[in-house]
Amino acid sequence: MEFSIKNIGYALLTIFIVLNYGLILQGIIRKIGARVGRRYGIRWYQPYIDIIKNYAKRSTITHGVMFYIAPVFRLSGGIGLLLFMPVIFGSEIFSNFSFAGDLVLVLYFQFFGILGMALGAAESGHPYSAIGVSRGLSQVTSFELPLTLGVIAIAMQYQTLNITEIVAAQQGGFLNWTVITNPFAAAAMLIAFLGAMGRSPFDVVLAPQEIPIGPPTEFHSGLLGVLQLNRAIFPVAKLILFMNLLFGGATNWFELIVKTFFIYMWSVFVGVVYPRFRVDQSVRWFLTVPLIIGIIAIILIRF
Amino acid sequence: MIEKLNLENISLAVGIIVILIGLWGLLTQKNLIKIVIGFALFDTGIHIVMVSIGYIKGRTAPILDSAVDVNNASQIVVDPIPQALVLTAIVIGLGITALMLSYVLKMYQKRKSLEINNYKDLKW
Amino acid sequence: MVGPIYIIAIALGTAFFLGFFKKANRTFSFGLMLLAMAFMTFISAQWLYAFLTQNQETVQIFTAGFKPPFSISLQMGFHESIFLTIINVLGLFSAIYLFGHLRDKGVNMMMVFVVLFMGLNVVVMTRDLFNLFVFLEISTIAIIGLILLEKKEDAISSGFKYLIASGIISGLLLIGIIAVYYYSESLFINDIIASKLMYVKGGTIATFLILIALVLELKPFPANGWALDVYESAHPGVGAIVSSASATAGIFILFKLLPAFSDSAYYIIAVIGTLTFVGSNLLGIKQNKATRLLGYSSIGQIGLVMAVIGLTPYLGDKTMFIAFGLLLTHILAKAGLFWLAGIVKSKNIRDWAVIRRNPHLLVLMGTFVFALIGFPPFPSFFAKWELIMQLANSSGMVWLAFILLGSFIEGIYMFRWFGYAVKGENKDLPEFKIHWNKILPAILFAIGLYAFGYYSSTLTGIAGKFNYLPLLFIVFLYAIDFLPVYIKNTISIAGVGYYLYTIYPGLEEYRLVFGLIFLAGGMLTLLAGYAYKGKRQGFYPLTIMMFAGLLGLIEAKTTLEFFFAWELMTAGSYFLIIRGKKSMPHALSYILFSVGGAYLILAGFALAHIDQNTFSLDILSNVQYYAPVIFTLLAVGFMTKTASIGLHIWLPGAHAEAESDVSPMVSAILLKAGVFGLIILMLHMGFQSFGNVDIYYILAWIGAITAVMGNMMAAFQEDAKRLLAYSSIGFLGYTVFGLALMSHLGWLAAISLSVIHFMFKTLLFLAIGGVVWRVKTKEMYKMGGLIKKMPFTFISVLMGIIVISGVPPLTGFGGKWILYNAVLDKGWFFPAAAVFFAGIIAFLYCFRLIHTIFLGQLKDEHREVKEAPFWMLVPQYIILGVIMLFSALPNSLLKPIGEILLPYFPDGALEWQGQLAISAFGYWNGKLIMFIVVGIFVTVFAWLWYMNRNAQKVKQFNIGYSAERPSLPETTHFAYNFFAPYKKVLGFLVTPVISNFWDDVSEGIHAVADKIRRIYDGNAQNYALHIIMFVVVFYLIAFGGFYGI
Repeated sequence: MEFSIKNIGYALLTIFIVLNYGLILQGIIRKIGARVGRRYGIRWYQPYIDIIKNYAKRSTITHGVMFYIAPVFRLSGGIGLLLFMPVIFGSEIFSNFSFAGDLVLVLYFQFFGILGMALGAAESGHPYSAIGVSRGLSQVTSFELPLTLGVIAIAMQYQTLNITEIVAAQQGGFLNWTVITNPFAAAAMLIAFLGAMGRSPFDVVLAPQEIPIGPPTEFHSGLLGVLQLNRAIFPVAKLILFMNLLFGGATNWFELIVKTFFIYMWSVFVGVVYPRFRVDQSVRWFLTVPLIIGIIAIILIRF
Repeated sequence: MIEKLNLENISLAVGIIVILIGLWGLLTQKNLIKIVIGFALFDTGIHIVMVSIGYIKGRTAPILDSAVDVNNASQIVVDPIPQALVLTAIVIGLGITALMLSYVLKMYQKRKSLEINNYKDLKW
Repeated sequence: MVGPIYIIAIALGTAFFLGFFKKANRTFSFGLMLLAMAFMTFISAQWLYAFLTQNQETVQIFTAGFKPPFSISLQMGFHESIFLTIINVLGLFSAIYLFGHLRDKGVNMMMVFVVLFMGLNVVVMTRDLFNLFVFLEISTIAIIGLILLEKKEDAISSGFKYLIASGIISGLLLIGIIAVYYYSESLFINDIIASKLMYVKGGTIATFLILIALVLELKPFPANGWALDVYESAHPGVGAIVSSASATAGIFILFKLLPAFSDSAYYIIAVIGTLTFVGSNLLGIKQNKATRLLGYSSIGQIGLVMAVIGLTPYLGDKTMFIAFGLLLTHILAKAGLFWLAGIVKSKNIRDWAVIRRNPHLLVLMGTFVFALIGFPPFPSFFAKWELIMQLANSSGMVWLAFILLGSFIEGIYMFRWFGYAVKGENKDLPEFKIHWNKILPAILFAIGLYAFGYYSSTLTGIAGKFNYLPLLFIVFLYAIDFLPVYIKNTISIAGVGYYLYTIYPGLEEYRLVFGLIFLAGGMLTLLAGYAYKGKRQGFYPLTIMMFAGLLGLIEAKTTLEFFFAWELMTAGSYFLIIRGKKSMPHALSYILFSVGGAYLILAGFALAHIDQNTFSLDILSNVQYYAPVIFTLLAVGFMTKTASIGLHIWLPGAHAEAESDVSPMVSAILLKAGVFGLIILMLHMGFQSFGNVDIYYILAWIGAITAVMGNMMAAFQEDAKRLLAYSSIGFLGYTVFGLALMSHLGWLAAISLSVIHFMFKTLLFLAIGGVVWRVKTKEMYKMGGLIKKMPFTFISVLMGIIVISGVPPLTGFGGKWILYNAVLDKGWFFPAAAVFFAGIIAFLYCFRLIHTIFLGQLKDEHREVKEAPFWMLVPQYIILGVIMLFSALPNSLLKPIGEILLPYFPDGALEWQGQLAISAFGYWNGKLIMFIVVGIFVTVFAWLWYMNRNAQKVKQFNIGYSAERPSLPETTHFAYNFFAPYKKVLGFLVTPVISNFWDDVSEGIHAVADKIRRIYDGNAQNYALHIIMFVVVFYLIAFGGFYGI
């Protein structure tokens, strides 16, 4: 498929929908979390208020060029990840730029934002930022291994790296979903997903009480606003990826919202039950149980 | 057994014994002079062996004089070549012994010791 | 033509006449002696010339008017003339070298000197056994006399030991001679040979005695303690004579009498020779006194020549070529080294650093050392090559293994010594003077080595194919070394460029890819050389030597040329590496791994050559026997250069300690030589397996583990250049993995990754080199915040790490994508998972590299730091341009490589639609991704800029830090042990198991050597006992079954 101007319009539409969904999801999840903890919690539209507030701030400082463009990297990474995937199966409009690359592109493009953000945060010279990055990267490397095993198992199962084809192969009832047909790969990936979402017990990267929010510590006003946009888009993009790979994708927005909401709830549930891991604990854990599950997945698919 | 006890075998045996005595002296004595004497014995033993090998029973020395007729010399004298060799070997042995002694002298001048164990600075 | 008898006449006459000049001017006497030596040399050379050019027939000279056996006869044949010329030339130059000493000692010593060489001449020429004995004794006595040139007590006691030992040996010889005479009734060697004594009862022992005595004259291991003491303590000029001239004569006697022995004598000689070669070199590695070290090496080398003579049944008509090659190298190099030892006067090899005060002496020493080890272009290289080829061809595998082992061990101590000379501390060492008469012989012998090397190359059968043009260029650069850097740099770049221009049309396929990496890459990295001031002595000849080697690899059509180039490249890169400030130990381990690897390659080529008449590289395609073994040998050999796991320990130090612009050469370019070798190997040999075990699967695991471990170790480094070095190890792991897949996509990944690795590693090493240049430290935690001081360098590093980490849209992603597809295609998921895991670990060190150096807190001492030198940046930005091109238009890189691979791997190629690559599994459009990412980025940036354009720049410490304002960058910059938690979990993986393993191996060898060498306890009687035990043991061995009819 060739690139045309129309694609830009479609992309903007996707971003708009996902942004709003992401912001509302953020608010709702926090609300749920609060209620579980017997608190009243925020209003569901609080994220909107935060963003507006941040953009409205008049005082702005910068620590340098990298610092300034770090949020740009971050948000570009989130948007790119979203746009390189087919969001709605069967919809040409919401397949966006998925014709530019396949699953491997999506897997590696995740890091675009992470890396850029890490660099910008580091330029602030704030030790908490650097500590957060150190923790984040350590954690990323460790859950990437089960994730990779799972992805290989799925790619072998469907004999393709094309996300659209993977989704297509899962159509026709939930019994065709990868999570049913290839449970070990799915398990490995879903555990890795916990790490990718960065919620408790794997939230030591931001660790709000300990190293005030880690990498983004020094960001504020408009810069933080851009990061907040990403915080709405990036998780949803990841949810869509896992939905596409494991849960049969979505043929319409409603299905997408339902499925991604429940996938998200998986990390939320785990998060409210388990306290925070230290980095060395989470690294050790990711390299044991999920790794073994991933290896089993490969063995099953291989023999 | 007895018939083997002829002159050439006896001299051969003596030669070998002298060689062994010389070697024993060379290897066990700690005094440099005695070592040189051991070597001299070793050398002499070899010379005796050489002569005994060239000896042919019942013949005379390979010197052409009144006792030996030139015409049938080859039948009545022993093989002359080993004897010539021995002469040369003795000369060389002498040279080496002399050189050894002069080295011993030099060594003694330097360190005032004839004990071979005192000359082990160079090793490994 | 002057008759050979005049050699003796002149020598005797001179010795006699000198006696009359005791009171005369000593310089005059010396002149007379020199004249005699010159004339002796002239006579022998004249005969040699006649034999070489005029079909001269062998001449017999009868003395005293009788024919043998009634008189002593001399023979002058082709071989005699060669040996005589060698001995006399050596005598002539030894005399020149010893000028001062001989003059001071007076006429007596000159007489002894002349008599020594007369003795050696007769020993070579005589055909009479007893005469041989006499003159052997004369030369021994003369040598012992010459030992007195040195008045020290050590020298005297060693002379005494020599006397005792040679006394016993000559006793044995004498008994043997008389016994031979007894059985054969002649002393004429021709008669003895004709009488076939071996078949006479008792003759066996007679010949055995002679054989063992002759062997003992050659100082076999371990009955050679006396010789070592002489080598150590005698004047080096005398050491040179003993090591070269007497040994040469000794070898010739053995050679001359060989036909008198039974065929099994060959076997005994071979065993003793090999034992001596390996044993003596082994004991040498613990040695730290230069002259004794040379003694060990001499004995070893003569052992090798002995082994070659003993191996005649294996070597056939190549024996002479091999023996001469080795002997000639030994003579020229060993004499040269002894002479240098006499000039430098440093006993301990650590003190040889003083030689560096005169760089030309260092060049001489390097020439001699590399010649001894058998590097090209010296005669020993060709001799060793033939030796190994022939041994393999006639199934002498055990010999082959031992000889390579011995050569390797010799390399250990020779290179260690050379390393001390090049890099040791030389501040407090005493001065030394260079007299013309001492240096001239060494120079001439060094030139001789090169000349004979060239001559040997013409005898190898594939003469004229060697490309000597680059070597001449090296010589030229050496000649203009006094010029300033910018001139030499320009000439070097022009030279490389011109050569690339001339060979470019002839390069095809993968040779083109690697040719461009080697040569274009070389020009690029040379550009950075403009940043240097002054002369940079020695840099350019060595650099070009490495590039000449790399270029030779590309051009090689035969295994010999390939090996030649490989060794040349190794030598050049060794010199480049050792130029670094603290490089000595790393350069040593580099050269040892390289030499070890090279010997494996040599063995592999030799096995491949069995039953094939050509040396073409194509022999690898139809290997007759041992295919998996050959494959393994060659693969391991090449992997010493790609620094695969287990063989990698040389790399980090070597690359990290090298100079700023050498690091990219040895890291980004040199390692590709290993990849190139693997490619040639795999293309020719195809699939290989040991039984059911697929070698390629093992290779894939090696690659994967290398990748993980390399990257993991990189993540834990504090030293920036070390980090990059480990990163190279890891990246080469991907390449090996890709090659092991043996599929179109695997190779596409491997080759394109090689190109990419070249680019980003050059970029990063130059950038980091520039930083180190400015901040004078390599420890990353001592830096920080340099982005504001060195923005251009920062951009380079930023791009470099994005490429390494494989994040789209830059070109590194292409490699990852292809690798994924290749893996799915092949199905080796577990090693593949390790490779991808390694790819993620790369993030750790990438971030650390850029963060701890450029981001975070600027240190106070770096506030005045300037941007990296302009000429360091130039190559970086050229590369950046190419990276951007390849990123935006991936098919400009990948499509040509794919087409190259198509003939070899027709299946599974990528389909290209414009910039869209389609594989069996997925698709990827690099250009589109680039546009989309840039588009999103620019849009978001514009949005941020619109919202936030008034951002105010704040000072360094203006951060919200627990309500405090930090003031010390050192305590605020989070850098040291950056991944501490990660290390806590996975640190056990980077415990230096492999380094420890190699350390243990090395220590073990040294300990064994140290234990064994205790037998040389300095006691003359024990030395005598060794000789007797040696005779007894070999008597038992010989008559226990080997010797006899």
